[in-house]
Amino acid sequence: MLAKINQKATNVVIFLALLGLSISNLYPMFYMFMNSVKSRTDYYVNPFSVWGLKLTWENYATMVSQFKIFDLFKNSFIISFSSIVLLLCLGIVASYAFAKLRFKGKDVIYLLVLATMFIPVQATIIPLYMMFSKIHLVNTYWAVIFIYVGMFIPEVILLMTSGFRGIPDELIEAAKLDGAGYFDVLRYVIVPMGRPAIILCIIFYFIVTWNDLFSPMILLQSMDKRTVMVALAALLSRYSGDPTFQFAGLVLASIPAILVYAIFQRYIIKGISLGATK
Amino acid sequence: MSTNVTVANRRLKISEGWLSILPVIIILLFIRFYPMVMAVYRSFTNWDGMFRNDWVGLKNYIQIFTDSPFWMLLRNSLVLLLSVPLQVMLGILVAVLLYEEVRGWRFFRTIIYLPQIIAAITIGYLFRVAFSLDGPVNSVLRFLRLDFIAIEWLGNTATALFVLVFCLTWFSIGWQAIVILGGMAKISPEVFEAAKMDGANYWQRTFYVVIPMISRTLEYCIIMSMVWTLTSIFAFIFTITGGGPGYNTSTIDYMIYTKFYQVGRPYGFASALAVILLTIILAITVVEMRVTNKASEWE
Repeated sequence: MLAKINQKATNVVIFLALLGLSISNLYPMFYMFMNSVKSRTDYYVNPFSVWGLKLTWENYATMVSQFKIFDLFKNSFIISFSSIVLLLCLGIVASYAFAKLRFKGKDVIYLLVLATMFIPVQATIIPLYMMFSKIHLVNTYWAVIFIYVGMFIPEVILLMTSGFRGIPDELIEAAKLDGAGYFDVLRYVIVPMGRPAIILCIIFYFIVTWNDLFSPMILLQSMDKRTVMVALAALLSRYSGDPTFQFAGLVLASIPAILVYAIFQRYIIKGISLGATK
Repeated sequence: MSTNVTVANRRLKISEGWLSILPVIIILLFIRFYPMVMAVYRSFTNWDGMFRNDWVGLKNYIQIFTDSPFWMLLRNSLVLLLSVPLQVMLGILVAVLLYEEVRGWRFFRTIIYLPQIIAAITIGYLFRVAFSLDGPVNSVLRFLRLDFIAIEWLGNTATALFVLVFCLTWFSIGWQAIVILGGMAKISPEVFEAAKMDGANYWQRTFYVVIPMISRTLEYCIIMSMVWTLTSIFAFIFTITGGGPGYNTSTIDYMIYTKFYQVGRPYGFASALAVILLTIILAITVVEMRVTNKASEWE
């Protein structure tokens, strides 16, 4: 009886602790949103106020009409989308080889590929910039896309190889006996069976590439090619700026990643927790 | 005849495997390996990205160690690394809380990971606003009659570093908790039940059951977050302090960034910084793995 009450009390304490932590995560987002729909004066009077305000969408209107945030969205989308397509194409083929094919030197190459994860992009950015400027790729989407593919392909291969290892060899052999060629095996066995790992990669690297700042900031300096994060970072670094306007931009820029997370959070959580056990 | 077929088959297999990974190898050679080798080579030159490219031996390194803010950058990195034990400890705590699966734990798990989804510049900006002179943190402190600590947090090196550590910790708790929870999923529930039966309380269970059984996961968490702290917090520093005042809150990777835009383009110097950063990361990974291997031998 006592143990039961004890257990109940513990559960209440745990619940409250988790609730507190969740509030500490949600409140900043709420604060940002509330202040983005306030006038500048209301913000300076009391940034915490919630009730009895005249809400205004003016900041958002300016973000769209003056700051042209949707043009920036387009740049970010093109870069994220193309990076993901390339990561998937290269990643699926290579992970299939690492997981299911036997060839000489496989283990060594696998380790070498994974080891490149530890090379920080800052350490290579200047030679990369020079290389890209020689082949006229600076200020093009391709520069950033190539960097993302190089940076993230080892992680994609790590995730997918461990996913593909779980596919039974018999399925592949059976498909081959039915006359399936290399690409048929990929299309009819590996991709459908390895779907969880593939979906995880799509979602995860959409969020990562959407939010990234460093590489696009160095490589995309022309105004019409900048990603939304680069443009917002430039806006934020002007200390004189209007916080309510900056909040509006940050809220808009957060929406795509949050939406993706809201829809697919189960995949992400599962993927993150599995990744560690590998 | 039949051996010929198998040999041919094996050949085909070999080439199939190699062809499958060839594109990845080419990409990695161009995007990761070549620039890294070039950085090592350029670190011994006075390269400016254009015409000047003379061999200067160890001059850049000597300058870094004797006549540059390098030691300050290193100190900053060490201070920021303090967030790693904090993150891991809080992560364990949260993971253990989630493990009990109280009502609504799935929802909490989702929210706890949320900061990882928000762009670093957004989080950085929120922290900059929060800790500005008339910002929310100081308002709360003044409301609590704690005016004496309602200071200009970001104007002073020690407190600015504290804000950065706080920010990195807050940002990472969710990731740590989810990864650790994943590690805990491998502990069989019977072990927990047995510990409970033996009268182990909450803290004893955490320290004597959970932590020893997830040492591999913790190793992964620690290495990953150390490397992350040394290489991937550019956007946080950029938005919270801008590396300033001066280089007072910069890290090595942040200085590489400032050198990129500096007049005179000291790219040879920046390359030497890059090589040092690479070496540090390599050393951490190797040492860390050695230590945990030793530790598991002692058990």
